[in-house]
Amino acid sequence: MSCKLVRRHLGAFVDGELDPATQIEFERHLEACPGCQEHLSFESSLRQQTRDSIGGIHAPEHLWGRAIHRLDAIDEARMEHTPLIEVRPMRWRQTWPIAAAAAAVLIIGGVVGLPEGAEYQSAGMLQDVVNLHSQALPSDVQAETPQEVGRYFQGKTPFPVQPAKFEEPGMKFAGARYIRVGTHPAAALYYIRDGRRVTLLVFQSPGLMRNAHRTHVGGRELYYHNVGANVVTIRQHAGVNYAFFGDLDRGTLFQLTANARVAY
Amino acid sequence: MPGKSKKIAAERQLFEADARPHLDTLYSMALRLTRSPVDAEDLAQDTLVRAYRFYDRFEAGTNFKAWLLRIQMNTFVNRYRRATRERQVFEGPMAVPVGEGVMSRASMRGLTDPVDDAQRRLIAREISRAFEELSDDARAIVLLADVEELSYKEIADVVGCPIGTVMSRLHRARKQLQGSLRKHAVQLGIIEEGDDDIEDPIALEAFRSRKAQKL
Repeated sequence: MSCKLVRRHLGAFVDGELDPATQIEFERHLEACPGCQEHLSFESSLRQQTRDSIGGIHAPEHLWGRAIHRLDAIDEARMEHTPLIEVRPMRWRQTWPIAAAAAAVLIIGGVVGLPEGAEYQSAGMLQDVVNLHSQALPSDVQAETPQEVGRYFQGKTPFPVQPAKFEEPGMKFAGARYIRVGTHPAAALYYIRDGRRVTLLVFQSPGLMRNAHRTHVGGRELYYHNVGANVVTIRQHAGVNYAFFGDLDRGTLFQLTANARVAY
Repeated sequence: MPGKSKKIAAERQLFEADARPHLDTLYSMALRLTRSPVDAEDLAQDTLVRAYRFYDRFEAGTNFKAWLLRIQMNTFVNRYRRATRERQVFEGPMAVPVGEGVMSRASMRGLTDPVDDAQRRLIAREISRAFEELSDDARAIVLLADVEELSYKEIADVVGCPIGTVMSRLHRARKQLQGSLRKHAVQLGIIEEGDDDIEDPIALEAFRSRKAQKL
């Protein structure tokens, strides 16, 4: 074993990260080689000096108290509404009554099945909207800090993102994260209403509006797509799509969508 | 629901007992990452909040400190870094190759056996300064390895890159630290300028295969 090799991997030796056989060979070499011993003591001593120079920083005294304060808030919320805080994937078993309600509307409307052929892409994106809601991936921006949404998405999405505002006081912001709808960078904004999850996906795709149904709710125009037995509602603002989906009945979702302030 | 409140209180107590000893580590790492005491407090605090939320996902028996640091690193990357830069630095090619920069014996002795306290302080300050000159990622890895004493595997988990990358990054960062320290120590007159030899890197794999051929 050469000195060159030993010196190259002295760091890993000091860290105790060599495999046992190599470790033994290193030890044997070091016993017999004063030059490498010197390198070893330098490596160890510098390690100690580095630890002394850059370590030993203490957190400010109030920091733990501040953190505890926020943990208290989580506990309180958990006490009141356990399901509101833990955003977990919804099982299909739980969603079927809603799906059945939507299906009933569907049959009355006489529209059945997914669009085909040229509409495949937009159908895929709509299916994605439904799937992403069901997956309920964990939030990166937490419910307590909606003011951080703008900064979080800066540079991630090609458009600014703010949490939508709802007239309904029951709609609570529950978190946000970066996501993709099809190939489009998107913002997923999670909300909770009466214990039910609502997902708002914000992304840019002009194709999404193709063949969308148009309707008016309370004097406001909105678009929607039937996706299988579900419905996805869409608002459009400045070339950005705001797609809503939730564990809600159709009427409520339409109402929410129409009354949402998506950009301000 | 008294049962529920008892359960929440018990979990909270466990979490606090687990997390409290690592507050200094979280803050110190956050300070190195953000370079701002205000941001560092926010980051450490958000880390604790997230850790508490996902406490049930912590695998008992694994390193809790490493788990906390991983959450902090993710929070940092998500919040303070733009998406395009995310992870790139950890996985991208190394910008400049660094030589072995092995010092002469005299230099090594000069740096590790300071003659007096004044010189000791000077060297400590030089190490801090050289450390600040490292890239974000190199600083993080040096801190995790040399101060927090995490294993390479744990560091790889925390920063989200392969072990091999941790090893090469760490080696490189330490050599940079030594090189920069040596340069400034010479300027400050702590050590004398000598003809320190610069060697080519040599791979452990090459040694192993040479050895295998001999056998």
